[in-house]
Amino acid sequence: MPATLLVVGEVADGRLARLSAEIASFAVGLAAAGGGAVVGLIVDAAPDLAAQEFAAYLPRVVSVASGAVADGVWAPHAAAEARRLVDEGVTHVLASVTNDGRDVAGLLCGGLGWGILANASAASWDGDAIVVEATVLAGKAIARSTVDAPNAIVTVRAGAAEAMELAKSGAIETRVPVGVPAVPAAAVLDRVAEAGAEVSLEEAKVVVVGGRGVAGPEGFGLVDELAALLGGVTGASRAAVDAGWIPYARQIGQTGKVVRPALYLSLGVSGAMQHRAGMQGSQNIVAVNRDPDAPIAEIADLFVIGDLFEVGPALAAELRARRGG
Amino acid sequence: MTQSGPILGSTRLTEEQVLLREAVRVLADERVAPRAAAIDRDGAFPEDIRQLLAEHDVFAIPFAERHGGLGADLLTLILAIEQLSRACATTGLILAVQALGAIPIQGAGTPEQQDRWLPGLASGEKLIAFALTEPDAGSDPSGIRTKAVRDGNDYVIDGGKRFISHASVADYVVVFAVTNPEADKPSRRLSAILVETDRPGFTVARVEHKMGLRGSPTAELAFEGLRVPVANRLGEEGQGFAIAMQTFERSRPGIAAQAVGIAQGALEAAAAYAGQRRQFGRPIGELQMVQAMLADMDASTEAARHLLYTACEEIEAGNTDAARWAAIAKLVAGDTAMRVTTDAVQVFGGYGYIDEYPVERMMRDAKITQLYEGTQQIQRLIVARSLLARG
Amino acid sequence: MRILVMTKPVPDPAANAERLGANLRLDRAASPTVVNGNDEYGLEAALQLVQAHGGEVAILTMAPATGVETMRKALAMGAMSGVLVADDALAGADIPTTIRVLAAAAATQAWDLLIGGLDTSDGAGGVVTAGVAARLGLPLLSAAARIEPDPAARRVRVQRLSAKGHDLLEAPMPAVISATQALGTPRYPTLKGIMAARTRQITMLTLADLGADMLPIGGQWPSRVLGVLPPPSRAAGRTVTGDPAAQAREIADYLADQRII
Repeated sequence: MPATLLVVGEVADGRLARLSAEIASFAVGLAAAGGGAVVGLIVDAAPDLAAQEFAAYLPRVVSVASGAVADGVWAPHAAAEARRLVDEGVTHVLASVTNDGRDVAGLLCGGLGWGILANASAASWDGDAIVVEATVLAGKAIARSTVDAPNAIVTVRAGAAEAMELAKSGAIETRVPVGVPAVPAAAVLDRVAEAGAEVSLEEAKVVVVGGRGVAGPEGFGLVDELAALLGGVTGASRAAVDAGWIPYARQIGQTGKVVRPALYLSLGVSGAMQHRAGMQGSQNIVAVNRDPDAPIAEIADLFVIGDLFEVGPALAAELRARRGG
Repeated sequence: MTQSGPILGSTRLTEEQVLLREAVRVLADERVAPRAAAIDRDGAFPEDIRQLLAEHDVFAIPFAERHGGLGADLLTLILAIEQLSRACATTGLILAVQALGAIPIQGAGTPEQQDRWLPGLASGEKLIAFALTEPDAGSDPSGIRTKAVRDGNDYVIDGGKRFISHASVADYVVVFAVTNPEADKPSRRLSAILVETDRPGFTVARVEHKMGLRGSPTAELAFEGLRVPVANRLGEEGQGFAIAMQTFERSRPGIAAQAVGIAQGALEAAAAYAGQRRQFGRPIGELQMVQAMLADMDASTEAARHLLYTACEEIEAGNTDAARWAAIAKLVAGDTAMRVTTDAVQVFGGYGYIDEYPVERMMRDAKITQLYEGTQQIQRLIVARSLLARG
Repeated sequence: MRILVMTKPVPDPAANAERLGANLRLDRAASPTVVNGNDEYGLEAALQLVQAHGGEVAILTMAPATGVETMRKALAMGAMSGVLVADDALAGADIPTTIRVLAAAAATQAWDLLIGGLDTSDGAGGVVTAGVAARLGLPLLSAAARIEPDPAARRVRVQRLSAKGHDLLEAPMPAVISATQALGTPRYPTLKGIMAARTRQITMLTLADLGADMLPIGGQWPSRVLGVLPPPSRAAGRTVTGDPAAQAREIADYLADQRII
């Protein structure tokens, strides 16, 4: 029975989220392997640009202009639109591993009772059933899981696929919203930007992280400097966040953000398990720490034993010199 | 199965006991441990620690809920004393002596007496001490000379006590005095009388300078014409000796807990040091002689701990030979603490002898656990007698 | 105010001993069990709210019968009562079943706010609280960094973590909230709290108490783990010592080799 995969796209400031493009390509690959169809969904107050961007990756995009999303939370509306598409024949729903994506997945699961496969980094078919791979047990293993049913909801992780544009952009179908969502949407009274929170750690190619060794908010100046020189973003370990040196939005770890940048560079991070769970998928790991026995040494490609307040500035100087400025 | 054998299976802590032990451990690590060296150096009762224990309801542990306590059992109290003593033996003793002094009131006091005195002790607002020992009466209580002579509705107490923990900071002291000099049996001569320390005639004659437990004031008391209402007597006249012996059944485990805590603290300090101190190109913890010492320290501390926990369960369950259980726990724990702390100093080498490191203090603190609350020799007599009686 | 907090007993992350058992399900005996971290943040927020507004906090857990032990800590922190759904038929329950069961159990209690963790340290799916909101047909205020109820007006405001900072949400009560670490450090149980927890009521429910259709048809969990692979191994790294300037050069060389700079 041919499947129809629905990718629920996310929109940030009117543009398609980078992760949604990746998941679109992930779904295209999966549909091709199983002989099924793919469709994307964009729900936003002003969806046109994001829908066009999405259509670069998918043969078909349903674009819903929903004024309600301007001042109401997005997930119930997206879930309601996804439900309509399920009624029209969608067999599998793919959402992002983000707060919004997981909310849509959860709302759909509660409404439909479909099985959920979470945090997929790869997927394939076993007959009608999707089989996914996901990292489990705080990074200790990769589990292959399935739902023995022709329907499932899958949440897909960043880095599961490269976003690949199709040779020809897909068709965009605009629709009016389905109406009041099954689950009432809370009102959004305000959207507040907090200094230091505007960052997408999960999408950054370079992350420079400060830990307990940074010894205070001033120390993050050095972290920021290196992040700027490397074109990256500042992150923090839980110790630094708990100490109040930097906002929680920057926390990388099991209870913070999970990142897999091309470069993870840390200063004064010991590398407790709960932190490693948030960054061990990074392509290159460089860690600076005074303690030769710091656990992060176990996964670092380069483990630099030294005082971060000496190595850090030296590295900044070296990077400037190589840049010629 | 003889009467002294365990009437319960092996000890498993309840979830509640685990939570409580953890809560006290966190308090000890975060608030008590940083003060331990200074308390020893200053040699004065740490009033701030007493406040801390009061604020965190630690004093409430051995008291019934109707008196404002937590209604916990003996094992729970022991867990708390052990965790505090791990960080600071003086602090462990603050709780242990409070519990000790209250036992005569809990065991022999009237409901009215309990309502009068126990709530203040449970809240930590009032401190209590236990005064049995005299210059001529240490291991042998028959040497007690302090007398309490009936005069109308009062007793008039004359005499003195020696080596009484916390008597110089206590609000109440339970004094064991001769009220029945002509009693047929020597063990029926004494009564237990609670004395409020602000009464005229109660004097702290001196406070000792000790080898260890320096933050715990050990006082010599003098009583001169000290007038106390008869209503302050706990139990019947002549019941004092029995009250004291029954008290020890529940208080000796407290000292055993202090000893196990001291041993554990010393063990942890030595193990950490062995992991870091490098000689001959590697941590000394990789050298077999050091490993052997640490292993023996760990094994004997663990053994003392489990014997103590089992003793608490037996005593709480009403085992008829509670005295033997209390004695055997205190005996093993005290000797273990002395051995483990001595070996801990050895692991540290020369550094173990200077006060920059905590183990010399722990060794000095450990010694008292072999001396007070009944010397090890007295404990051995109790254990032997019980064994031979079981035949 | 009445607040019901969903808590899940999970393997203690600090023990770092998570593993699957022979049946390819999480081996829950391999580590000591603790309350899931995000649930504790939610519980702490709930306790502060009833301290400020009056009322009580209750705990809801779906777990084996040993779950009462993990509930004790929540009760020791100040929750007044607990509901434990324990049934052998729920061993290894999948997410849709968990959602159905929690929603049905929550529906047996009266509350103004239902709080669950954003996700769990063992499953990390992050969908259950949302699923429960859907089953109950109630507003979901997820990823909460701050919760501000107005009991008199029967409305609640939540600061929801966003990419830029936070969004300020509002919904009528009753409402469902998912909790994050940003809510603040959970209190340590006091000794009084630990002892008081003994006498607090834990209501035990089985599937029979929750009505029909809790379990999937056919009695098998449709979701299952097929197999486990070790994670991709990293090539061994190297250690860099020396003076800071030399170390900086070596790092920069490495970054150049890896085409980062």
